[in-house]
Amino acid sequence: MALNLPLFNAEHKVLLETFYPSNHDEYSEILTFLGGFMEKEIMPLSPKFDLGQESIGPSRKRLLENGFCQIPYPPEYGGLGLPFSVYANAIELLGAADASIALSVEIHNAVTEGISRFGSGEQKTRHLPSLMLGKELASFTLTEPGSGSDARTVRTTAKLSNGEYAINGSKTFITNAGEADLYMVFARTEKGPSCFLVEAPNPGMKFGVDMKKLGMRGSRTSEITFEDCRVPIQNLVGIEGEGIDYATQILHGARIVVAALNVGISQLAYEKALGYSKQRNTFGRPISEFQLTREKIADMKINISAGRLLYFYASHLKESGVDYSSEAAQAKVFATEMSLKVCDAAIQLYGGYGYTTDELHRHWRDARLLTIGEGTSEVLRLLIASRELARTA
Amino acid sequence: MRFVVCVKHALDESELKIDAGGKPQLEGAPAKMGTFDKNAVEEALRLRTALGGEVVAMTVGRAEARKSLKEALAMGADRGVHVVTEPRVLDPSRTSELLAAAIARTGPYDVIICSEGSSDTYTGLVPPMVAERLGYPYVGYARKLEVTAQVVKAERSLEESLESVESPLPTVVSVVSEINEPRYPTLIQIMQASKKPVEEFQVDQLAITGSTPPTVILSMTSQSSNRKRVLIEGTPDEAAQKLLGALEKEGVLSS
Repeated sequence: MALNLPLFNAEHKVLLETFYPSNHDEYSEILTFLGGFMEKEIMPLSPKFDLGQESIGPSRKRLLENGFCQIPYPPEYGGLGLPFSVYANAIELLGAADASIALSVEIHNAVTEGISRFGSGEQKTRHLPSLMLGKELASFTLTEPGSGSDARTVRTTAKLSNGEYAINGSKTFITNAGEADLYMVFARTEKGPSCFLVEAPNPGMKFGVDMKKLGMRGSRTSEITFEDCRVPIQNLVGIEGEGIDYATQILHGARIVVAALNVGISQLAYEKALGYSKQRNTFGRPISEFQLTREKIADMKINISAGRLLYFYASHLKESGVDYSSEAAQAKVFATEMSLKVCDAAIQLYGGYGYTTDELHRHWRDARLLTIGEGTSEVLRLLIASRELARTA
Repeated sequence: MRFVVCVKHALDESELKIDAGGKPQLEGAPAKMGTFDKNAVEEALRLRTALGGEVVAMTVGRAEARKSLKEALAMGADRGVHVVTEPRVLDPSRTSELLAAAIARTGPYDVIICSEGSSDTYTGLVPPMVAERLGYPYVGYARKLEVTAQVVKAERSLEESLESVESPLPTVVSVVSEINEPRYPTLIQIMQASKKPVEEFQVDQLAITGSTPPTVILSMTSQSSNRKRVLIEGTPDEAAQKLLGALEKEGVLSS
């Protein structure tokens, strides 16, 4: 399948120039490098990750060692101090290079974000530098078998005695479970849902089997059971009872990242279909010459461009320090839903070959997760609508 | 120990467009550090790690060649030297003259490391010409290097054999791509590279006389190959026999 590379393209450059008139050159340089790295070191392996023939571990490690996760964090903890948009753009490239690695890294860095915003000085010094360089891999552990979008109903408990919290309960659909070194766990104390760090291995933490998923097959997902899982009192993140507030704030940022990831998946599926439409002949001419093909090409392109603009806009608001929760949700709802349309249209253009080729339908399978994970489209629409109704009250 | 590594801001061969007349379109074509030059940089850095000292990255080219210099600095070179020239594609003689003058001006160096050839024009002429102009020995096509305080020991990769040689310092070396796996810089190294010092020379500052290059490129065309489009028909056994006959006729297989 012929691809139109580089991953970091002229449109990204123009957007960076628009948002950052004085620093765009430096940002473009970093993203050009990252795109080149991914094209060479990650993209060729991506089909094997999907088929379970290779583990994403070594590629993810190399990417993090190069400083991918340092991008948006302040230099005092080893970050590069670059705008969040640059990080989101990097995730878009990674989403195109391999969606499973992008998902795993997105979850990992959600924990980095949580510690950098709500962690103690000691937690920051201990974990941020190693999280940013991938010396530790992290996992965000919120969802439970009976508690998803209604995170406030979290049933896992944490009881304090003799300077230790004992965590009991179970979590499910946990990305990076079993592989991670550090788990950000949300559990209920007397004061309400609270946030803890659990370092692996811990004898009180048991992992279920790797779940068989429709897509994102390179990333590991499983249940975690906590049975008298003890952590020192210093592992409480922030204030007891504030856990859901922290999770919500972390997820607002993560939604921008998920939007970017879906733009990346869509871009790759689109490029493949675009190339194919010029090669595939029907009735004696390439299918790209038929109007109904052109309609699909135009709609795919419009959707991807709009998704990209939405996540750039939400990133820019986040950097500016204003409330961006609605815009992040808008970006995520739009990008994840358009991604399914784009990947579906790509399969349609490929015809029977689209339905029977992993290399093409994996993009739809990967994208399918993300109208569910990190806030369902339904819940996010409620958030957007409630913000709008409050604004005009 | 002081190392200088010469890099070229070469045309990106994977992005080169060919016009209708079969000529490569050089103006405005994207450029990047020569593919094999990364092996030269890597080798210089490896030697510095083993022996201590300094790695200077050097380039001759237009203002945009600074990008390749910066890439070498991001990989780990300590500082850069940029000889600024106008035309993008220089004659190897002229390039070697400018490099040798800049090496003499900013030296002394113990080892001058180049790649086997640039990934665009690939003449492989510049490294021996630099050696000749400086009056240094030349060790070409090294696939393994060892440097001591006095000598360079190299395993040279020749077409059908390997040759082990030893040369006194200072010396000019060219390396082949199998010598190492070039490292990727980290993002922080990329950001810090712009803070590393780069010394810039204009051509007239290097006291070079005569501006007419001794060689002139008369034409540059792309290679094209046409397929014969032979269709072999028949049962599998017949087709196999016909294919065998056709391959023998073409001299691919001997009968």
